[in-house]
Amino acid sequence: MDPLNEKPQENINEDQQLAGEDMDMENIIHNEIPGVITTTSQGITEFLKTTKIQDLINWGRKNSLWFMAQAMGCCGVEIIVTGMSPMDTDRFGIIPRNSPRHADVMIISGYVTKKYLPALKRLWDQMPAPKWIICMGDCSISGGPFYESYSTVQNIDKIFPVDVYIPGCPPRPEALIQGFLELQKKIAAKKDKGTAYMR
Amino acid sequence: MDAEQIIKSLTTKFPDVISDAKVDSDIRISAYSEAEKIVEVCKYLKEELQFGHLSAVTAIDQIQKNEIDVVYLIASYDHPVVLKLKARLPRDNPEIESIVPVYWNANWYERETYELFGVQFKNHPDLRNLVLPDELLGDWPLRKDYKGFPNRTAKNLV
Amino acid sequence: MDTNVGPDEMIIHMGPQHVAQPGPFRLNVKLKGETVVDSEVELGFIHKGIEKILESKTYLQGIPIVDRICYLAALTNEEAFVGSVERLAGIEPTERSQYIRVIVEELSRIQSHLLGYGEYASFVGFVSMFMYPIAVREQILDLLEMTTGARITHSFLRFGGVRDDLPEGFREKAKEVFANVEKALQEWENMMETDLIYKKRTVGVGVLTADVAKDLGVAGPPLRATGVPFDIRKDEPYLVYNDLDFKVCTETAGDIFARIKVRFAEIRESMYIIEQALDQMPPGPLFNEETPYGKRTPIMRIPPGEVFYRVEDPRGEMGFYMVSDGSDKPYRVKIRGPVYPTMQALPPLIEGVQLADVVGIAGSMDACTSEADR
Repeated sequence: MDPLNEKPQENINEDQQLAGEDMDMENIIHNEIPGVITTTSQGITEFLKTTKIQDLINWGRKNSLWFMAQAMGCCGVEIIVTGMSPMDTDRFGIIPRNSPRHADVMIISGYVTKKYLPALKRLWDQMPAPKWIICMGDCSISGGPFYESYSTVQNIDKIFPVDVYIPGCPPRPEALIQGFLELQKKIAAKKDKGTAYMR
Repeated sequence: MDAEQIIKSLTTKFPDVISDAKVDSDIRISAYSEAEKIVEVCKYLKEELQFGHLSAVTAIDQIQKNEIDVVYLIASYDHPVVLKLKARLPRDNPEIESIVPVYWNANWYERETYELFGVQFKNHPDLRNLVLPDELLGDWPLRKDYKGFPNRTAKNLV
Repeated sequence: MDTNVGPDEMIIHMGPQHVAQPGPFRLNVKLKGETVVDSEVELGFIHKGIEKILESKTYLQGIPIVDRICYLAALTNEEAFVGSVERLAGIEPTERSQYIRVIVEELSRIQSHLLGYGEYASFVGFVSMFMYPIAVREQILDLLEMTTGARITHSFLRFGGVRDDLPEGFREKAKEVFANVEKALQEWENMMETDLIYKKRTVGVGVLTADVAKDLGVAGPPLRATGVPFDIRKDEPYLVYNDLDFKVCTETAGDIFARIKVRFAEIRESMYIIEQALDQMPPGPLFNEETPYGKRTPIMRIPPGEVFYRVEDPRGEMGFYMVSDGSDKPYRVKIRGPVYPTMQALPPLIEGVQLADVVGIAGSMDACTSEADR
């Protein structure tokens, strides 16, 4: 259930359609001051998604994709290399961050075990929206060489809203950069799962 | 100190405890020990025969013989011989004395052997799961009759 | 660890996602003020069950799996696995392939030490130092990629040989790269010797003495930094290490500074070994064709037996204990990794130090969580 997409069931007029949540409160204020339309920041965000301004916002977002440095498996080594000077991802605005609270992108870079899944979910919850997930490597896509293990969790894409899959075992740093570029294209085309568009 | 000498010293000190002692190669020897006396054997090895380095503790599930072998791989900093010391335990109730008082780093190896094979180490300072999550404890995944392997929950399996 | 905290104590959980960690593990530290009074390591966040998976794979299928035990030392993992199968089956690798193995394994050691140094440098608060070893490491990885075709997981060794010969121009490229590595090492050593702040943070911090290190079961560079010349390549020579001239690098101080110096000396020693091996390498076949198991035999039944084969990993003693029951799959494989005792030794090592030094000490031990978890 996405709280952004919830619509109140009461009878609402055209102006209030933009307002999003807290419809009852809006109703009262609106009735008290005739002729004045009030709204919430949520409402403005929802409204902007229908306009051209969203293109500008997305342009900003796609050029500052900070990812969380979180090495989980073999791909973790390639993530480290990607964030360093030889690959120079700063030119795309892709910068490693150490804290999930600074990050926009979480890279699932390995087998998710039953023990690690709760921690990973918490990390995902700690990241502020808008946020995206990249599945890096075969392990997180389909289980990879450890698909039959007793301690790993399968079908990660049913648990997290994944935007980009990068196959390889492990993918090269160049492949990870390409994955980021694909994510940028998705954001520019408003097709990503990180932003909740009205569809 | 070479392999023959070590075996001789070990079998004369513990004639009833050590069995099947043999030289595998110049630098590898193997022996079986009675499970009750394992701590004394290890103490003797460490103090008298310079076996100061415990390489690993593990187990083998011998399902046909209905036994679990606990294996101690003990090496040394002073001579190149590695001793493979085994102890036979019954499969339905494997219990053995912990060797943590002798070798400090046996702690984690014994915890791992406990959670993967279900071998109970008596008088272990802190016997609980190390790598497995709590819900998998008690399944003993490395035993041969473990049901959860291979895991078939992944979609798109060929 | 006792979770009851006293009046001015608190517990800090470092991890499972923490920047000063090579992989997810949790370090629970109990602090009194800023001093560590008690700590505990929690493992298992990336436990994959490799030992169980290997039991269900044929010997040849096992090679790519053991690559992923520790992705920083894939080739030494392979050497331990392939070597133990060779000893079980009675295969002797050809001489040329042994030299090639030595070369790629020493290259693997160099890149592992470089990455370890970079991580460690960022943990002691020198974040931009991470970039320099990574840039040099890329050149080493280029050499490995020329030979094996992959950057970190190679699947290069085979039973009785190697997959491919060294490519043309390897020697010239290696000379070029080694000159760069040597130059970089001198620069960093110069920095380490002269920087007061760096020395304050490392000299005399996290001291291990030889007796304590032996008791804790630590191996590899942390043990050699205490003055114990324990190196499997010398004590139990495998491949052609007997014919090569090299020394076991030791220091006596046993602190963080000494551990890093040992690693630097080992990088130099590895380059020296590779240069010798390139000179001494005889021509000849890559495979011993006379064995019952040729290059293209995917299924090989191995006579029953047991073997414990040890090699010198970049982090210490790596061993495979393998039991065969005569079928085409191993009956039981125990992986004895070097990081397992090293991580176990962390709590006694960080007891009584300041919180800010914990990551420096942990980094200087160069732990690899993936291998400890397996």
